[in-house]
Amino acid sequence: MISRRDFVKWGAVVPALGTGWHGAFAAAPQGLDAMLVDTRFPGALDVADAPVPVLRFAGDVTNVWYDRLDARWRRPGFVLGGITGSDALFVLETLATHQGRRVVSRMALDLPRVNDVQAMRWIIAPHHKSVTA
Amino acid sequence: MTTPPGIDAATFADGLAAMRSAVGDEWVFDQPADLNTYRDFYSVLWGEPEEKLASAAVAPASVEEVQAVVRVANERRIPIYPISTGRNLGYGGSAPVLSGSVVVDLKRMDRVIEVNEDNCSALVEPGVSFFDMYRHLRESGSKLMMSVPDPGWGSLVGNALDSGGGYTVAGYRGHFEAVCGIEAVMADGELLRTGMGALPGSETWQQYRMGLGPCLDGMFRQSTLGVVTKMGFWMFPTPEAWLSGSVSVMRYEDLDELVRVANELEYGNLFNGMPGFSSPVLTQENPIAMAMIPEPEVMNRMVAESGVPAWSFSPNFYGPERVIREQWAYVKSRFEHIPGVQFAETGFVDLPLSPDDMERIHKPRFGIPSLEIFSVGSRGYGNFNPSDGHIWFSAVIPRSGQGIIDANRVMRAECERLGLDLFMFAPAVTCWTRSFVLFAAVPVYKDGRNEHLRDAVREIIRTCASHGWGEYRCPPAFMDDVMEAYSFGDHKLRRVNEQIKDALDPNGIISAGRYGVWPERYRHLRRDGGAA
Repeated sequence: MISRRDFVKWGAVVPALGTGWHGAFAAAPQGLDAMLVDTRFPGALDVADAPVPVLRFAGDVTNVWYDRLDARWRRPGFVLGGITGSDALFVLETLATHQGRRVVSRMALDLPRVNDVQAMRWIIAPHHKSVTA
Repeated sequence: MTTPPGIDAATFADGLAAMRSAVGDEWVFDQPADLNTYRDFYSVLWGEPEEKLASAAVAPASVEEVQAVVRVANERRIPIYPISTGRNLGYGGSAPVLSGSVVVDLKRMDRVIEVNEDNCSALVEPGVSFFDMYRHLRESGSKLMMSVPDPGWGSLVGNALDSGGGYTVAGYRGHFEAVCGIEAVMADGELLRTGMGALPGSETWQQYRMGLGPCLDGMFRQSTLGVVTKMGFWMFPTPEAWLSGSVSVMRYEDLDELVRVANELEYGNLFNGMPGFSSPVLTQENPIAMAMIPEPEVMNRMVAESGVPAWSFSPNFYGPERVIREQWAYVKSRFEHIPGVQFAETGFVDLPLSPDDMERIHKPRFGIPSLEIFSVGSRGYGNFNPSDGHIWFSAVIPRSGQGIIDANRVMRAECERLGLDLFMFAPAVTCWTRSFVLFAAVPVYKDGRNEHLRDAVREIIRTCASHGWGEYRCPPAFMDDVMEAYSFGDHKLRRVNEQIKDALDPNGIISAGRYGVWPERYRHLRRDGGAA
């Protein structure tokens, strides 16, 4: 269950993310609390002026989840957008589900595959009553 | 609303209402979007009518709530399926074996109850993940090291109960081997503590495993007999250093001697870390999938032409540097009689690990949980993408050189004949004491190819059984087939398990069908129709 506040928050972001890599960041201030960037994909470093915190990793989500997301996902709120490989999204989605969150938007991006991994853009938002703001 | 088999809608609704009263409305899930998260995303039945699905899920937060849920289920004969964190991907995930069961999700029971530094032990609830435990140990400044599987996102309890394995020290890395003391809610809702935990006031629950009389810890391994709510573990004091070596030999004929001596050294405690056995010349093309072992003259010619060794044995040592260097020296001396043998020290680190070490080591070998394995495909290490899925085929084979050769050839030949892909294949994994386990990762699909896959896997299960090789663990779709292979005495093992099941859980509510043990009321659902 997603609260109205959260719905408005991430719902405003979804259409803008459709334009791809740069569009995603242009939309970020509209509702995301942070962005997660998989630096394996071209353009990943071109986010220096992103107006929300940008977390970076390169394929392996272990450190960014353990050091940053795990603690944050235990508390209510926090809408996370990301452009990552489909492999990383699978892992993040599984972890997020465990903590009452859902992938509320996902789309394959028209970016070159890296080692046969598809780039995805997505939003993970609070879902369960225990973490909705 | 989907209802469990044999349960009418009114009874089921009444049961869920009672469970809501016990755990809170927000912790009972019966909507499709919620239940979707309890699917087995690596299921070989994905999207098919036979896919194993939960009818509901309930997430209690305490032992008392678990007892209440079990009593509600028992009174109404509603089948339940407990999971710890449900991360057992490749072996079933969080989906029930009996479709329509109510998943009892224990993720909220995530307390590290005790870490005893002097006894080198821990007592935890089933929702404690390896990451949770690692964080607890780090933040408390513990001197202890745990053993973790790869990936490390699962539960200590769930992984041990399914006989998961890690990479560290003998006696610890076979995770059920390190269990000491279990608390479980039985089908009648009563609480059982095994071993010394049965003695009120005992301080030795995590010290002496057996207690008095039959040791009951094993009753809960891969079982259908209770909902485990606490589990004790022995833990390893963090060593001062780690050393890894390799012993390489250059002839096909040397494998038997390589394994024979390695076994003697390990069983004599001359090294304590997880050993590796491989064939460098047969893993040149794919380091995680050994090719078919050819005839001796062919393999020896490959070695001669490439200069790459035929076989390698990799002992690992944990302990004080001066001790493990002496052990390594002794280990080398025991192989010097093999012509052309080569030795190399392939790794050494002082503990605790430095930041540089953390970047270059395989973290699970040091008890550090990791999710890196999910990105191996991105490193060009095979074509693995975790969102596609796979299952594990895991058969126990003889711990000998001939065991490796026979298992490799039979498995490779069968997979080729049956058109079965493998993206990982290691015929001699050594997580478990004194065992070789043949590991093969079989890709699964979401596009209709799984029927062939299931038929092929079942044929391989039968083929392996004809050689005396049985799986120690398997996905739910194959549990009946694997248990069928353990047929000594007209399936006496299964029949005794069923007798115990019927005695302790007469309504057959807990984990029906898990590892081929069905309660009387559901025995007809066994793949062979419940024939004796």
